[in-house]
Amino acid sequence: MQGNTTHSDLRALLATRFERSCAVPQAFFAAEAGRIAEACWAMARRFHQGGRLLAFGNGACATDAQHVAVEFVHPVIVGKRALPALALPNDTATVSGLSVDRAGPSFVPQLAVLGRAEDIALGFSPDGGCSNVLEGLRVAGERGMLSLALVGGDGGQFVQADFDFCFVVPTSDPLLVQETHETLYHVLWELVHVFFEHEGLLA
Amino acid sequence: MTPEEGSEYDRLFYPFLFAGGTANVEDVLAQVRHSTLEKCRDVVALRRKTFEVYGNELVAAAMAMAQAFTAGATLWAFGNGGSTTDAQDVVADLLNPPFPLSRPLPAVALTNDVAVVTAVANDVGFDNIFARQIIAFSRPGDIALGISTSGNSTNVSVALAQAKQLGLLTVGFAGYDGGKMANAAALDFCIVAHSDQVPRIQEAQATAYHALLEAVYTLLHT
Repeated sequence: MQGNTTHSDLRALLATRFERSCAVPQAFFAAEAGRIAEACWAMARRFHQGGRLLAFGNGACATDAQHVAVEFVHPVIVGKRALPALALPNDTATVSGLSVDRAGPSFVPQLAVLGRAEDIALGFSPDGGCSNVLEGLRVAGERGMLSLALVGGDGGQFVQADFDFCFVVPTSDPLLVQETHETLYHVLWELVHVFFEHEGLLA
Repeated sequence: MTPEEGSEYDRLFYPFLFAGGTANVEDVLAQVRHSTLEKCRDVVALRRKTFEVYGNELVAAAMAMAQAFTAGATLWAFGNGGSTTDAQDVVADLLNPPFPLSRPLPAVALTNDVAVVTAVANDVGFDNIFARQIIAFSRPGDIALGISTSGNSTNVSVALAQAKQLGLLTVGFAGYDGGKMANAAALDFCIVAHSDQVPRIQEAQATAYHALLEAVYTLLHT
């Protein structure tokens, strides 16, 4: 470090990042609010049937899978019911013991053994290029699970795949994708509960 | 649904649910769309406010962290619940940086080892799960990074105090009014996302630590 980056250079860099972290979600949620509401309803019906949320992703996205799972299991809003959710990357023995290819470990064995038809599969891919996540969602969909993809970039092959919901945050910056995904899964969790207030809509 | 059944929050935000059970799905979906956009507006406003108030603090923290990494520091990250996953995310971004031309930097999340966490919690107490590991692993000059949405998580505060005592650089991320972390002598830097909504706090904290890491990597390149 030679110290030729000034305080004002750094402040400008931070200002740019914060501003992009505002602009990207504003455009995303304005475009997707309708489908997000539909996704909340679909998820609420699965939970009502006894389904669970099975979340998965690679690398930094593994932490998002864990994050969305803990929100459902231990709701921070007092009075909301606990809903069953598992983060598949949590089982390090299983994940590290399975075949690991260039794109990451396979989630298919866990989905096959743990998954039930009424469950919800939620897969993350920051650039749409995670073939193991794509494959996991495909298998989940084939088994009757509700399939949700939270992806970024151009969405890659996720866009063509026949998933129930595919949310694409259209930026190549993985940090902006991740932050927007975080708001998205928080919103899914917060608003799934709205449908639970009205059981007539869950049949 | 009767008014007795919902929380005050529900009655305030979803009044149609209490209008005698006549809500139809279009009304509920419209309300959910409205709430979605409202939550997006909230996090955008919180991110702007966090930068406005803590922009200079983030610059100063980045300079101190870059200096520590240059001198060979390891970063130790910790938090509870969703904040644990954010701590693990900081570590993932250091070990496998998402910025061009950046080299990995040493970092460990103190929730990675469930054997250690459950052993300390069982034998000593939950308040010590992170402090015990700081004692075991850290060296003077390392960096401790603690995340708590309330600013009042005892195990986070105890670990940051321990870290300061052992000569580590201490960085905290909090929410609400910053809680006990806001004025703790043990903290060299404390970034607070001033909100009482935990999901929005976490989302604004994510932007703050992503920006912090980008600034650290920028300093290490120059």
